[in-house]
Amino acid sequence: MGRFYRWFSERLNLQPILHHLLDEPIPGGASWIYIFGSMTLFFFILQMLTGTFLVLYYAPTPDHAYDSVHFIQEEVPFGIIVRGLHHWGASAMMIAIGLHILQVYLYGAYKLPREPMWLVGVFLLILTLVFGFTGYLLPWDQKAYWATQVGINLVSTAPWIGGALARVLRGGKELGALTLSRFFAIHTLFLPWLTMILISAHLFILRRVGAAGPWDIVRGGKISEPFYPRQLFMDVVAAGLAFAVLSILAVVSPAHLADRANPTDVTFQPVPEWYFLFYYQLLKYSKGPWEPLLTFGLPILFFGILFAIPFLGRKGERAPAGRPAAIWAGALFLAFVFTLLGLALKETASIRLSDPAVARGKAIYAKLMCAGCHRIHGEGTQVGPDLSYVGDKHDRSWLIAHFKDPQGLAPGSIMPAYSLSDPEMEDLTGYMLSLKKTSN
Amino acid sequence: MTRRDFFARAIAGIAGMIGLGLSIPLLGYAILPAFRRYEEPWAEAGPLDKLEVNRPKEFEVVRSVSSGWMTTNSVRSIWAFRSPEGEIIVYSPICPHLGCGYRWEDDKQRFFCPCHNSVFDLSGRVIAGPAPRPLDTLPAKIEQGQLFIIYKEFKAGIVRKEEI
Repeated sequence: MGRFYRWFSERLNLQPILHHLLDEPIPGGASWIYIFGSMTLFFFILQMLTGTFLVLYYAPTPDHAYDSVHFIQEEVPFGIIVRGLHHWGASAMMIAIGLHILQVYLYGAYKLPREPMWLVGVFLLILTLVFGFTGYLLPWDQKAYWATQVGINLVSTAPWIGGALARVLRGGKELGALTLSRFFAIHTLFLPWLTMILISAHLFILRRVGAAGPWDIVRGGKISEPFYPRQLFMDVVAAGLAFAVLSILAVVSPAHLADRANPTDVTFQPVPEWYFLFYYQLLKYSKGPWEPLLTFGLPILFFGILFAIPFLGRKGERAPAGRPAAIWAGALFLAFVFTLLGLALKETASIRLSDPAVARGKAIYAKLMCAGCHRIHGEGTQVGPDLSYVGDKHDRSWLIAHFKDPQGLAPGSIMPAYSLSDPEMEDLTGYMLSLKKTSN
Repeated sequence: MTRRDFFARAIAGIAGMIGLGLSIPLLGYAILPAFRRYEEPWAEAGPLDKLEVNRPKEFEVVRSVSSGWMTTNSVRSIWAFRSPEGEIIVYSPICPHLGCGYRWEDDKQRFFCPCHNSVFDLSGRVIAGPAPRPLDTLPAKIEQGQLFIIYKEFKAGIVRKEEI
């Protein structure tokens, strides 16, 4: 390594570049709190790599998209790992961005002279969300199709231009081949280029204005430490840990592939990816004439505020103690988002994990292969009734009687009668009863 | 080892492990499917009673070829007949000389390839012309009164029968 580097360095004069890259001063010294920007970059590179390889076997047409993803998942060696890393990497990147924004916000690092960096950062956040939304459609399964249908319909509620905007997104009147190919092009060509350009701008600004360091400017001025070796070490350790976690997740909990997209199945209830869940929950409460205000007004207001943040508040004041309004507003926003997220999780997965009977019932449901005919939150086939909220429809005695003699209670049903032991019957019924819109 | 050396080695070590952990699955993913062996399935050629003793006939088989997630069906023809001993003989329809399609000439009791005038007898032996080897036989079996074969293609122009 040393000799190899020297050979090039003698010819290309690499020393000044290396010095410029590695000896950037970190005011206040290296810290674990500064790792999230590098983490986001690491996840982005990971997404670029795994995504590039996924395209090897992916076909962006409604005829073949599902089969090609199924092929990657089931037949290509390491296919589960490559798709799993891409799937979990997307979530990890969202988390890293969230923590990065929080750190910058808490430290007041967006203030003079770093406003341009914050603005570029907000654009990068938007690009990442579009990455998530466009990538979701590509497997062309039921979840993908219906979540995108809902997402585009949300856009169409915008006043005046909504209809036209939705048409542009779909590439036509209806969701189909044109939608898939443009989502694919946006996800794999347009966005990566744009993002790379904006990341370059983000880093260019960082090197022009320097890292912000601690909010105590006096302390930051007194102590300073170069980026290499300690800060780089922390960044790399975090990346290594994150990669290990993603690899384990990719194997233990592979990316899901639901049923093939079926445009005629209007009973399917799509649930978005977790990072859109809080917003999905919010929309449940919007009814009537106020709906466009939530579906369209609120996101515009949110990003408007995000863009305005560096220009609000007292100039130069970075310590949280000196910015009570900003800190309270941030905390309230977080409480709001996490409350909605919590409610959404409770409603979509309304299974009380603490109840062992429910877990046993779930195991019996899997053993009897009930999902061969029934669907729960998008998992399983839609032959019999959807059981997502069956707990709201029937009570314990009805369920038990029905398991023993389906036709007695539902004439004409093709469900076979099951002879289970009493405890097994109790557990399965307990699981069914736990499937409610709101868990009790 | 200095502190600086420790950090340098730790950084290189972790980065190397991430690189290795990524490159093994990525390369395997990109390369291995190209070397996967594909087992050609048995294809149904038609009812057994169409077979005649010592009189080759052309049979059509629907060959399904799968490439990754796609399966395409294409129609190929084969030559088949029954020997007086009851054995079923199936020939690939491709002339082993340069890959033209030959045909059976009933009046002359021979297979004749019009491209370069190769001539074969009923047993597939070369009687005349430039063909370097006999006609290529294909595996055949009978199941429930139907003839099944495995369609294969062989390299043309060489003495050895070598599957493509």
